[in-house]
Amino acid sequence: MRGFADDDDNKGPLRGRGVSPGIKIVAIAIVSVVLMMVDNAHDALAPVRGTLAIAMQPIQIAAEMPGDVADYLGRYFNRGELIEDNEALNRRVLLLRARLQRLAALEAENERIRALLASASSLDQNVLIARVLSVTPDPYRHRIKLNKGSADGVFKGQALIDANGIMGQVTDVTPLDSRAILITDANHGIPVEINRTGLQTIAQGTGRSNELRLPFLANNADVRNGDLLVSSGLGGRYPAGYPVGRVQNVDHKPGDEFLDVVAEPAAHLNRGREVLLVWTSDTGAKAEKANDEKPSADTADAADGANRADAGSDDR
Amino acid sequence: MITNHHVSGLMILFTLAIGLLLTLLPLPEALAAARPAFYPATVLFWVLMQPLRFGLVAAWVCGILIDVIYGTPFAEHGLALAVAAYLVVQMRELLWSFPPWQQSLLIAPAIVAYEFVLFWIDGVAGAEVNQWWRWLPVLTTPLIWPLWTFLLERIAEFEVG
Repeated sequence: MRGFADDDDNKGPLRGRGVSPGIKIVAIAIVSVVLMMVDNAHDALAPVRGTLAIAMQPIQIAAEMPGDVADYLGRYFNRGELIEDNEALNRRVLLLRARLQRLAALEAENERIRALLASASSLDQNVLIARVLSVTPDPYRHRIKLNKGSADGVFKGQALIDANGIMGQVTDVTPLDSRAILITDANHGIPVEINRTGLQTIAQGTGRSNELRLPFLANNADVRNGDLLVSSGLGGRYPAGYPVGRVQNVDHKPGDEFLDVVAEPAAHLNRGREVLLVWTSDTGAKAEKANDEKPSADTADAADGANRADAGSDDR
Repeated sequence: MITNHHVSGLMILFTLAIGLLLTLLPLPEALAAARPAFYPATVLFWVLMQPLRFGLVAAWVCGILIDVIYGTPFAEHGLALAVAAYLVVQMRELLWSFPPWQQSLLIAPAIVAYEFVLFWIDGVAGAEVNQWWRWLPVLTTPLIWPLWTFLLERIAEFEVG
């Protein structure tokens, strides 16, 4: 700690070594700005972050504890609710199973048809359940922290889903945990297609947790309220075919070149504590690629996909 | 006053951990925005009270720890805390002469500087959030300052007596 001290300008009781706070603050400012720029441009600081993050782990676990204890006690005292939940879940499992039987047949049929088309795609996708450790304490960013890290095979750029749709992608990985950006973050864009028509476009986050925006749809685009948006898989970041959201409002202002389309995310972004990390079959290649790309790259990659090209085949 | 006593690094780390814990505790969204900046307040407290042991560089390192936890650009909070600490260092002798509740008023500019640097860097980094409640900690932090410093002094007195 001794080296961290600073001295007042050689006056009063604090006379001593002679670096004045003024010079120190300028030096700190310069070093900070350089660090921020380096951090922004490269991953050079990732190991430093990782090491410090591990050192901070106990505090973060401690900060989560009151919530966990409350959860636990809540569960302990709500037996009736639990039984009800359990019954509801059982009914649901039954229902989903019934649906799954049909799905298995459909999947097999799909595989066969794909084989006929000589495409290499596979519907096999591995998932890993991760717990949300914390939503970013910074209320202005839609980021979450997960309890799985590179030790579990999580990689940068990996897609994140919940039971209802795509949630976001992993942006930082440390050995023990990882951080992800949600699709509603204002700095995030995801390539989607409108399920009904196959029209390709981009869904951008707005910074509000219940709203996505589709800014690149031309006036004559065929889009209606209630249209389902699914991930298109363009850009190679997200797996194709997962629900992203549902169109809520289509507004055409005369004179504007693009439609004003608002969609509601399908995933329950601010509810629930468990998410699924997805590994697609070409994960290896993806993980390598992901490590030298920035997470926002897929917006640019797929930006030219606004028209329906038959990009499906070369992407897969 | 613990200014005249030598407080051990371990004690400082302990109080910083408490401050960090209070900053990280999950709160409902509406409350989270108004949460006082406990951790920065703790850092500034030590900058004020242990001039020979805890200065700008220490404040900077403490800020970097927040960057690691929040996932913000490396050294963003570091710079913000160092700037706030710089103001405190400049006002140190003035602050010493006031009782805690009057110190609050002088601490407010340091918190403003802290929030402003964050606001600025967020803006440059393209993560701008220009909402009025972003500035709520500027009000709430000075409000808890007298109580918080009182508690910190009591904790530190376990060691220095």
